[in-house]
Amino acid sequence: MYKTIFSLAIKNAFLRRIRASLLILMIASSMSVMLVIEGLYDGMTASMIDKALRSDSGEVTIFAKDYRLKQYIKYSIKDADKIKKELKELNDVKSVLTRFKINGLAGSAKASYPSDLIAVDFKDEEEFGEFSEFIKEGSLKLGKNGCIIGKELAKNLKLRLNSKVIFTSRDVNNNIVSKLFRIKAIIQSTNINLDSKTLLVPKEAIYKHIGLDNSSATQIAVRTDNEKLIDTIKEKYPSLDVMSFWQYNPLLNQMQDSMIIFNSITFAIVMGVVFIGILGVMYVSILDRIREFGIMLAVGYSYKYIRYQVMLEAVVLGLIGFIIGTVLSLVFLYYLHIYGLDMSEFSDGFASFGMSSILYTEIKTAYFTSIFLAIIFASILSVFLPLRKIKKLTPTDVIRNSL
Amino acid sequence: MFYLAIKNILFYKGRSITTFILTYFSATLFIVYVAFMDGSHVSMLHNSLKVYTGSIQIYQKDYRDEGGYDYLIYDNQKIFDILNNTNGIKSYTSRIETFGIASSKTDSSAMMLTGVDFTRESGISELKNALVSGEYESSGNCLYMGSDLTKRLNVHVGDEISFVGNAIDYSFAADIFKVCGTFKTGMYEFDSSSAFLNREYFDSVFYSQNTSSYIVLNVNDLNENDKIAEAIKPKLDSQYRLYTWQELMSAMVEAMEVDSIFGYISMGLFFVVIFFVILIYGFINASSRIKEFGVLKSIGLSNSEVDKLLIYEMLILSLSAIFFATVSGGYLAYYYELNPIVIEGMSELYKDYGIISDSIPTRFSVFTITWNIGLILFLNLLSVIYPIYYIRRFNPIEAMRHV
Repeated sequence: MYKTIFSLAIKNAFLRRIRASLLILMIASSMSVMLVIEGLYDGMTASMIDKALRSDSGEVTIFAKDYRLKQYIKYSIKDADKIKKELKELNDVKSVLTRFKINGLAGSAKASYPSDLIAVDFKDEEEFGEFSEFIKEGSLKLGKNGCIIGKELAKNLKLRLNSKVIFTSRDVNNNIVSKLFRIKAIIQSTNINLDSKTLLVPKEAIYKHIGLDNSSATQIAVRTDNEKLIDTIKEKYPSLDVMSFWQYNPLLNQMQDSMIIFNSITFAIVMGVVFIGILGVMYVSILDRIREFGIMLAVGYSYKYIRYQVMLEAVVLGLIGFIIGTVLSLVFLYYLHIYGLDMSEFSDGFASFGMSSILYTEIKTAYFTSIFLAIIFASILSVFLPLRKIKKLTPTDVIRNSL
Repeated sequence: MFYLAIKNILFYKGRSITTFILTYFSATLFIVYVAFMDGSHVSMLHNSLKVYTGSIQIYQKDYRDEGGYDYLIYDNQKIFDILNNTNGIKSYTSRIETFGIASSKTDSSAMMLTGVDFTRESGISELKNALVSGEYESSGNCLYMGSDLTKRLNVHVGDEISFVGNAIDYSFAADIFKVCGTFKTGMYEFDSSSAFLNREYFDSVFYSQNTSSYIVLNVNDLNENDKIAEAIKPKLDSQYRLYTWQELMSAMVEAMEVDSIFGYISMGLFFVVIFFVILIYGFINASSRIKEFGVLKSIGLSNSEVDKLLIYEMLILSLSAIFFATVSGGYLAYYYELNPIVIEGMSELYKDYGIISDSIPTRFSVFTITWNIGLILFLNLLSVIYPIYYIRRFNPIEAMRHV
C-alpha cells in the first residue's frame, strides 16, 4: 500500500510540471542566495576573529592591573618571562608569547603620527599566529635597527620599504628618547590597531633603549582550545588582569551576536515566505484533484493514506528544491571559499571596518541541516489546511462534484 | 477592462490577499530598511563633518601626498579674500598642525597640536560645544585638550605639560603649556591625541605667521557643496588644491558604500523569494482561469486585451498594497528621523569605527521612497510576464477545452 502511495505521490507531484518547477526553482534559488549571504557574513566575522586571535590577544590575554586604563609602561608585568614559562607548562596551552607596547610618536621626514611601538619575539609570533602571513612587502630579515610597520601607518607617514622612521617616547626614567628604525617589512593584518598605528621591533632592539627589565611585558597572550583554561589562569595569577578573547574584544562579540540575530531573522522571513509558496501550490493542487480523492475514498482508501500521499507530495517537491538548492549553494559557497569575492575596489572601506577586501565564505553543515528541517517542516505544515478540506468531504459529495 | 480586473481581484480572494500582503510587507520593509541604512550613514557623515572636518578643505597641492612643512600654505590672506568673494560660504578658518611629544609630571603621549583662531573655529567645528571642563576660548599658553588625552597624561585643568616638536623652519621647538579646557567630541582617536592652542601664541612658538596646514570651510547648504567647490577652484592659484568632504572622507564614504551593497544584497534575497511566490500565485491563478480566457477570446477579446486584463489586476493589487506600504513605511521613516532610536553605549563600543553618537536616525527622503516602491512595482509587473506568455500559447478552442 505504501509503495502505491509513494509512486502516486511522485506522479502527482509533477502532474502540473510548470507549477512544480516554479516551486522548486523558488526553493532552490532562495536557499542558495540565502546560504551564500550567510556564508559571506559568517566568513567576514570568522576572518576578523581569526586575525584578532592571531595578531593580538589569543584565547586568553593577560595585563598588569591598570594597564588597559592607563596604557603606560610603568604598569607592566614585571616577571613576564617566568609567567610565560609557567603558562607553557599548563595542559592544553598551545602557545604563549609576551609583548611590550610603548605609546609614542612615529615620525618620518614628511609626517608624524601618534603610534605604538611593540617589542616582540618574531619566532613566538610565528608560532602563535603565523605572523609571516600578514607580511605584504619585505621580509622578517630585519637586520640592525630593522622594524615592521602597519600598512595604514606607512601610508600616513608616506613610508616605503627601507625608509627611515623615528620613534619618540618616554623611557622608564621619564626622559624623552628617540630611536631610528629602518622599515624592512609592511604588514596588513586587518586588525585596525596593528595596521594603523603600530611599529613592530625585536625585543632586544628596544628594551635597553627604554631602560626596561628584560623579563617585563605589557601583555601576555595564550593560545588554547580549552575554554576552561582561563579559570585556572585567573586563579593562578589573581594580581593580574586575565581576560578571555570575548572580554577583550566585546565589539567582535557583539558583531557575532548581531550576525546570528540577523541571519536568524533572515532565515525566518525567507522560510516563512517559502512556506506561503508551498502552501499555495499544494492548496491548488489538492483542490484541482478533489474528485480524485473522493474516488479514492469511495473505493476504500482511508483518509490516513490520502493524508500520507499529500504530505509525501509536498515533501518530495520540497526535497527536490532542497537538493538543487544544496548543489547550487555548495558550488557558490565552495567557489567563494577557495577564490573569495574580490572587493578590492572598496579596500579602504573594508579596512576601516578592519576587514580584508577579499571575502571568503564559511561552509557549515548547520546551514544545510537547518534548512532541510525547515523545508520538511514547511512542506508538511503547508498541507494541513487543504487536508482539512478533504477530511470534511464525503465520497458522494465529491463525486457529485458538489464543491 | 478595469472593472473586470477589479471583479476578478475580488473573486480570487486567496491570490489577491497573498499578493497584497507580500507586496505590502516587502515594500514597507524596503522603505524602512533603506531609511535606517541611509539615516545611519548620513548621521555618521554629518557628525564627522560637523565635529571637525568641515565640508571643504584647501591645501598646498602636495601636502596630503607628501606632508611636512615644505607644503604649507604661505599666504592665508590671499585665499581668505577668494572665500570672502564666493557666495554660499558660511564660515572659514585656517589651521596649522604639528605633532610632538607631550609630557606631564608622570606620563607622556604623542600629541597633535593645532593652532586655531578659536572664534572662527566655533563657526566651523563642534569643538566649542564639546567643552567638558575649563574654558574654550583662551589666550597665551592655554591649551584646549582632548579629554582622553588628559587621562593619558594624567592632567587636569590648571596643570602644566611640556611639548617638544618642530617649528616650521624645522628648528627644535619646545614650550610649557597650561591645560585650560578639555573637550570630548566622541571621536576616540581625536580626543586621545589632540590639543588646540590659540593662533597668536602658536605662531610665536612655531614661527607660523600667515601660514597654515590647510584652510577649512563650511557651506550654507551641503547640497550645494560641489557647486561651491567648483566656483572656488578656478580662483585658486595652481599650487593649491581643494578637497570636498567626499574626497577627505573617502574611506568612510567607501565603507558606507560597502555597507549599502551588503544591505541591498540582503534585501535582494527577500525580493527573490517574494517575487517567486507572487509569480507562483499569479501563475496558479492564470492557469486555473484558462477556460475563462478562452471564453473572453472567443467573444472577441484580443491577446493584448487579455494581457491588459492581467496587468490591470496586478497593477491594482500592487498599487493598493504599495499605497498602504508608503503610508506606513514613510511614517516610520519620518517618525524615526525626528525621534531616532537610541542605543546606550553604542558609540563607546564602536568608537574605533568612527561612530560618535548613540542614536540611529532614519532618513526620510521622498526620492528614496519613490525608487523603493518603483522597484517593488517593477518586480510585481515582471511576475505577470510568464503567466501572460503561458496564456498566449492557447487559442480560444484549446483554452475552452482546457481541464
